[in-house]
Amino acid sequence: MTVGARLEISGLTKRFGGFVAVDSLSFVVEPGRITGFLGPNGAGKTTTLRMALGLVRPTSGTVTIDGQAYAELADPLGSVGAALEATNFHPGRSGRDHLRVMAAAGGIGDRRVDELLELTGIPAFARTRAGNYSMGMRQRLALATALLGDPGVLILDEPANGLDPEGIRWLRGFLRHLSADQGKTILVSSHLLQEVAQTVDDVVIIANGALVREGPMADLGGAPTALVRTRDPAALAEALAAAGVTATVGLDGELTVASTDLTLIGDTALSAGLPVWELRTQRADIEELFLSLTEGNRNTGATERTVA
Amino acid sequence: MSGAVRSELLKFFTTRLWWGMAIGVFLSGAAFSLLFGILLTSEGVDAGAGMGGMPTGDAVQVANSVYTGGLAVGYLLMLTIGVIQIGSEYRHSTISGTFLAGPRRVRTMLAKVLALLVIGTGYGLLSLIGSVAVGAITLNLRGADAFPSTEVVRTLALSLLVLGLWALIGLGVGILIPNQVAALLIGVGVAWIVEPLLGLAMSAWDFGREHIAPYLPSEATNAVVNAVQNSPDSVRLSWWGGALALIAWAAALSGVGIWRTVHRDVT
Repeated sequence: MTVGARLEISGLTKRFGGFVAVDSLSFVVEPGRITGFLGPNGAGKTTTLRMALGLVRPTSGTVTIDGQAYAELADPLGSVGAALEATNFHPGRSGRDHLRVMAAAGGIGDRRVDELLELTGIPAFARTRAGNYSMGMRQRLALATALLGDPGVLILDEPANGLDPEGIRWLRGFLRHLSADQGKTILVSSHLLQEVAQTVDDVVIIANGALVREGPMADLGGAPTALVRTRDPAALAEALAAAGVTATVGLDGELTVASTDLTLIGDTALSAGLPVWELRTQRADIEELFLSLTEGNRNTGATERTVA
Repeated sequence: MSGAVRSELLKFFTTRLWWGMAIGVFLSGAAFSLLFGILLTSEGVDAGAGMGGMPTGDAVQVANSVYTGGLAVGYLLMLTIGVIQIGSEYRHSTISGTFLAGPRRVRTMLAKVLALLVIGTGYGLLSLIGSVAVGAITLNLRGADAFPSTEVVRTLALSLLVLGLWALIGLGVGILIPNQVAALLIGVGVAWIVEPLLGLAMSAWDFGREHIAPYLPSEATNAVVNAVQNSPDSVRLSWWGGALALIAWAAALSGVGIWRTVHRDVT
């Protein structure tokens, strides 16, 4: 069991000719947490991950794993496990043989190969040629490949893509186990927030190659609020203000209260003699927020940048 | 490094290509030595006396030609293996995994070179088992000397080297021409069609005939194994000159290929 290392990306930029794929991107991925790396297709996620893994040369900037660049790692497979695309298999080679090829390159024995086939649930297909694998099987094989060297850092590019709901649930539990129980550093990319919302601890959102939002998943939608409907919202707002809670009246006469203490709100309404027609906590719609964050152009994104 | 070489060998032996190639190498070795064994011991091919249109050669050259008759097919198969060993990595993007396991790319590519030399030598042995067994029997039955000189043994050993070097030429071609199918067609086309035509064209041009044609890879290969000559006035390098020329081709093509692979982004 290898404990995770910090993955640090700083000032990372990649230009392809005149096109800026990644634009001075900086963030840190912490051990023992699952970080979601989000952005629409074409935002520069895969290019960033490939630069982190030494496959693509950055125009400028650095990526370090525990202070070292990927290419300098003494034992790359034992330090960082990567699943880039679920299509990186020779169609004529069996899943087991694919793992054996990779294991040999990392000086890892065949016993570990069989262990991982078991762990990722593909022993039945181990000797089937990978060309006949379903998308879900490919994802599992890619994950098995990433885990070969029992690395402390996992970098997974769209690992839920093509998984059925049961597979996604399995993946979620598996990643939780690896991060919470084993302390691994996990970076998971996705173009769908809802796909990873229940899995990740932190999020890094990029659009057009630049950072637009970074921080704990729980803070993404801002602090939760309460919604109240009553006969005289202005009067209740006043009463709540007297109790030290801010409330704003909405267009439909609903009151948004900057507190989730429903008891306090109900009691305040009662002592003000106002009937409560509706009272509940509410969260911002993070999917909507994600869309608004990533749809804006780069300049908008930069001004909205917040660092947690 | 040994792990990287083992990984490259596993790559080769875990797809179906290897045994198809093995059958091809063995059969071509056996079939061509039978064919050459019969043709070159026919009337009109006496020691050194070239009849019109017939290949010329002494007993040693005849034996060499018989045993290495399948080499022309063999080295094309090695070229193919070299192209596929790198071409399929780009085609199926397994090159990402290869460089993730071995991010020091020069070392990883040198492991590929070593693995291809091992594969080339192994297939060379297989080819020789076929060609020497069938060829020696054929020569004996035709009343020719099956082992006229120890030079024949040298030729056999060198043919192993030749196959390894052609695999490296394939590696270079496979990198420089990114489309695997195009690389195969162009590689085989140049070695089998363009180069002989070029040699033919240069026969009318003294400088080219003497200073260019002998150094082309296929002609250098013929020099290494000292086979019979198709034309008495073609200029041929000594066996070691041919070996050096072929090594230069292999080093140049695979070297340029490796340089490109090391510096190119893997997307």
